[in-house]
Amino acid sequence: MINKYQPKRNFPDYKSSIIRSPREEPLMIKLTNSEITGPMFKKEILNNSDNDLTINFSKNSEKPLGQEIFVHGFVKDENGNGLKDILIEIWQANAGGKYRHRNDTNEVSLDKNFGGCGRFITSLDGYYIFKTIEPGAYPYPNRGIEWRPKHIHFSIFGSMFLQRLVTQMYFEGDPLIKFCPMVNSIPDVNARKLLIGKLDLSKTENEKILGYRFDIILRGKDQSYFENKIEGL
Amino acid sequence: MLKKLSETPSQTAGPFLHIGCTPAAIDINVFRYEIGLAPFGDISFDDVINIKGRIFDGNNEPVLDAMIETWQCDSNGNYFGYQGFARKATDFETGEYFIKTIKPDSNNDNKGSQISSYISFWIVARGMNRPLITRMYFDKKGLENNKIFKGFNIKKRLNTLLPQTKDNKNFIFDIHLQGKKETIFFEF
Ligand SMILES: [Fe+3]
Repeated sequence: MINKYQPKRNFPDYKSSIIRSPREEPLMIKLTNSEITGPMFKKEILNNSDNDLTINFSKNSEKPLGQEIFVHGFVKDENGNGLKDILIEIWQANAGGKYRHRNDTNEVSLDKNFGGCGRFITSLDGYYIFKTIEPGAYPYPNRGIEWRPKHIHFSIFGSMFLQRLVTQMYFEGDPLIKFCPMVNSIPDVNARKLLIGKLDLSKTENEKILGYRFDIILRGKDQSYFENKIEGL
Repeated sequence: MLKKLSETPSQTAGPFLHIGCTPAAIDINVFRYEIGLAPFGDISFDDVINIKGRIFDGNNEPVLDAMIETWQCDSNGNYFGYQGFARKATDFETGEYFIKTIKPDSNNDNKGSQISSYISFWIVARGMNRPLITRMYFDKKGLENNKIFKGFNIKKRLNTLLPQTKDNKNFIFDIHLQGKKETIFFEF
């Protein structure tokens, strides 16, 4: 029994999923209090610049290299209601496709003005916004060397732990998306499209920054993993 | 009836999740403080319990780039606020995680039946396209009699939800992704 709208855990085209996925079926149990509650975070944990990756790491107000972009949208439940006070964390590679991380062995330079992490807590209507630079695509070992499409990693806390989501936003028009085994681990083609940030020319600053719109929909209590239906795309 | 929106699919957190989730651990000092470091703030020595363990892959190697989040009720069985939430990356060299918390009390399912006490574990890593969810229970009897497990043929595997108990304050809870000792994982 599989859910077409979520990635398969064991997807051999993505090699490391083979030894890191269970072989037994998950135990499908009824919701209890530990799923319908969840940690909530207050805006006091944030600095003002946490959601601006073009300045939050730079020591001397120099800007990182790369095309500046806004990434914005709404976090909603399955009924379309915006979810307030939702903590979103993002991380990404720099414009050359290099992460500020001890385990990134790609032979590309770090950008001294770019850390690569941001966070934000949604406003009353579920809105969020980040300012950052467009990340580079990067090679990684899989079946030989393959390329990840440009992407930003997202971690979202819902209003219940059941809604906890980690995902990635891809960029509209990126020709690498269709080759990516992580994207293709999602059986349903329309569900894959939900991960694509759409170019949004209406979101700009002095017409100098490109915008991308990425809405995030969190599951509801009434859905369950095995019955999750996709409609109205 | 209104059509429901489709939920955004999961993707792997990848090998560099520390940048966004535990940046100070890799010397990226951007945020005011990291979340999930101390689930109940300063706990008095008498109340502290320590949980440590590792996650083993299908080759029985420890996973060195995973992140574990735990969520639990307090010693009165209540879930609230940000308390009860812990977040730890596994150690880059040993794969060990370590959580210092308090023992949760039993709480109720959403129909009011009592469930013996446990801590929920949520795990992401490179190679995991979706998070894995499991639970660490404290009491063998309570686990065996727990009616949420009735009807599943998992009697032989039920002990994968129990820690090795060194004493009533120190627990080792290893998680096995595959193999003879494969941990029970949950979906809802
Ligand atoms: Fe990545």
